[in-house]
Amino acid sequence: MKLRLSPQTVLVLDAFLDQAEEWQYGYDLSRVTGLKSGTLYPILMRLAERKLLETQWEASDPGKPPRHMYRFTPEGLRFARANATAPASGGLGQVALGLVVR
Amino acid sequence: MGTPRRLAARLLRAVLRLAPDESREWATAMLRELEFIESDWAALFWALGSTTAILRHAASGLRNWISRKGRNEEGRMNSTGKKAMGVASGALLALMLTLAAFGLMRIIMILFPGLGHQDAHWPYFLGAIVFPEIIFVVSAILLWRKRTPIAAGILFTAIGIGIHVTVHLATR
Repeated sequence: MKLRLSPQTVLVLDAFLDQAEEWQYGYDLSRVTGLKSGTLYPILMRLAERKLLETQWEASDPGKPPRHMYRFTPEGLRFARANATAPASGGLGQVALGLVVR
Repeated sequence: MGTPRRLAARLLRAVLRLAPDESREWATAMLRELEFIESDWAALFWALGSTTAILRHAASGLRNWISRKGRNEEGRMNSTGKKAMGVASGALLALMLTLAAFGLMRIIMILFPGLGHQDAHWPYFLGAIVFPEIIFVVSAILLWRKRTPIAAGILFTAIGIGIHVTVHLATR
């Protein structure tokens, strides 16, 4: 199934591309992209369902709840490099009239 | 912990309890992130957004399940319907051929009354019954591999007509 590349999805791809090798947290991605959880998580879910994103629970210290982390799979990285725009430098404020304005 | 954050945590825990299996990991992830949000109100908005995301995910899972089930049912119905249509068309073809042969023989009898003599039943049965029956059997054999339902329809009709003629001949 083809992934719909909304401006918000492009923002998420850009955010991952910025630190392609690093695991990222949901809330941090929300802050970087400016997307609310109701928009961000459906995108993460779709990317993970299409095996473009791998997920993992962080091994945390005792008493501290583990966090869910996300990172591109090799296929996801290829997909993002093919579809994302230039490196992300801002949030949702850049999305205007369905276009990512840079 | 302020009231909005308590409310957010309660909401996400309720969502986690009610979420379907495929959404549970995501609901847990959203709940865990709550701890790292500094502002209470931001936490509440995070929880509201997360609830929406989980509802959408669960609804999409349900929609996919219904759609898969619908496709399977439709596939089964289509397959059965196609087979029934094949059998019916085979039977209809055979019946039409029999009727055509029967009508042709009647016309021949009218045109050549001498053939309809009491002792001349065999040309009639040969033209209206035996030849069509041979055609049915041959066509059923030829069609069996590629058009099994149609071949079955033709064969059923051939058997029916054969039995009918046998009974007719036996009783008269």
